[in-house]
Amino acid sequence: MEAANSPDDFIPAGLAALGIEADEIELAVIGAAHQLFWPAILELIALDTSQVPAERSPDLSQAPPR
Amino acid sequence: MTEALDLSLREQAAAIAAGELGPAELLEATLARIEERNPALNAVVETFPEHSREMLAAAPPGPLRGVPVVIKDEWPLPWRAQRFGAAEMLAETVPGESGPYRALRDAGAVFVGVGNMHELGASSTGNVSVYGPARNPWDTDRCPGGSSSGPAAAVAARLVAGAVGADGVGSIRYPAAYCGLTGLKPTFGRSAMDGHHMAGVSTTIVSGALCADAADCRLLDSALFGEELAAGDAAGLRIGVIRGEVSEDVDPAVREACEIAIEDLRRETGGEVREVELPELATATLATVLIANSESLGSITPERLNDLDPALSPLGRGLLKYRALLPAIATIKANQVRTIARHTLASVFDEVDVLACPTVPAVAPPLEAPMVELPSGTLTADEANVRAGALANLTGIPAISVPVGSTEGLPVALHLQAAWGRDELLLDAAEAIENANGRRWVEAAPPVQGAEPLEA
Repeated sequence: MEAANSPDDFIPAGLAALGIEADEIELAVIGAAHQLFWPAILELIALDTSQVPAERSPDLSQAPPR
Repeated sequence: MTEALDLSLREQAAAIAAGELGPAELLEATLARIEERNPALNAVVETFPEHSREMLAAAPPGPLRGVPVVIKDEWPLPWRAQRFGAAEMLAETVPGESGPYRALRDAGAVFVGVGNMHELGASSTGNVSVYGPARNPWDTDRCPGGSSSGPAAAVAARLVAGAVGADGVGSIRYPAAYCGLTGLKPTFGRSAMDGHHMAGVSTTIVSGALCADAADCRLLDSALFGEELAAGDAAGLRIGVIRGEVSEDVDPAVREACEIAIEDLRRETGGEVREVELPELATATLATVLIANSESLGSITPERLNDLDPALSPLGRGLLKYRALLPAIATIKANQVRTIARHTLASVFDEVDVLACPTVPAVAPPLEAPMVELPSGTLTADEANVRAGALANLTGIPAISVPVGSTEGLPVALHLQAAWGRDELLLDAAEAIENANGRRWVEAAPPVQGAEPLEA
């Protein structure tokens, strides 16, 4: 099944499922953000990260343990 | 007293300590300068002279005794809750003592005002705020940078010599770059953070200084860190130039100025330059944006989103609602990308001491339309700026923006990043660049001070 990039498919259903209302201007902003971010988010989700070592609660003040 | 206002942060501190400058006179002159210059800039959104005078009266004999500073509208003060540049924050805030407030108070500094910021900290431009935008002292029709817009504009216009910002996705370094200042994003966890409404939740935000040059940042950041950031010499510095769009999809004049600065740095330190590939950078940028945006979701409910203050900008309202739609799997993958990026950087920093690229790919865009022209085409400033700024927030490493040139009468800046805990090295490298160019760019004065704009 193809992923949908169109805001027409995703945004109204997503907002409705969460019970979030949006006016026309807000919908335009959400649509623009979606078109900007969604293709890259789909690429990110498609990454095979099964070999990435687990780093639970990483200490960001230091280099990761090696 | 005008001359005292134009001294550096460290010169003001030294003159007060030596008894050559009266701190009460400096405070009153600073308040008068804010009154005189701020209407054209909207950098400072609130002053509180009586509280400032009380702070001065109680100031301990610390390294910043009597020195006036501005703090971003992201931190509470004992007499004022932060507003985050917004009509509504979706987080409860009350007046109180934040970590930066306590650190600077205990060092003897005096808060004279609250700095403007981009609404909800959500942009690199500073063109949207509940107070109206701050303006860039180099050209008041241009963006000052965000989200620490007011602190940067205040220091650039010499309302004060130092200010406290916060950096969650580049928010100290972008305004430092646009306003011709030096701005350090500390290693995660090294600078005072408590009292921030995202403390304990955010894994990207840090406090940090915005000042004219590296020595002033060293002094102010030493107070924020609670430890002295000792000076070294950066001798034999191994400089890695990041290849790819952060260095190449850049305005040609910006690219040239940064290449000159990198060569200056190499020569001044007797170091070496090599190219570095960071193939994960684009994914890391998205990961940073996803993590930073999802970490604020805890205070959001559909009911609150349906009852947002209408004074929030349409952009702010729309983006808050879009955050609620981000899928959990994307945030989980983003955290895995964080792990990959941290391991990659750990290996890279075995080979080089600093990573270099332009802080922002083009000079400050117009407030009315914050778009930038790059070799690849026209982009929003946010899309372009986040490419270089995000990695340090994702991974926790320190980064600094250093003024290194000018084009169209506006500042150009170089971005340096180093391994975890090497904040001092970044300040040393910034000072090496200043020495190499005769401090030309850190001493450049914007036209609001009556000086002529400098050209490269």
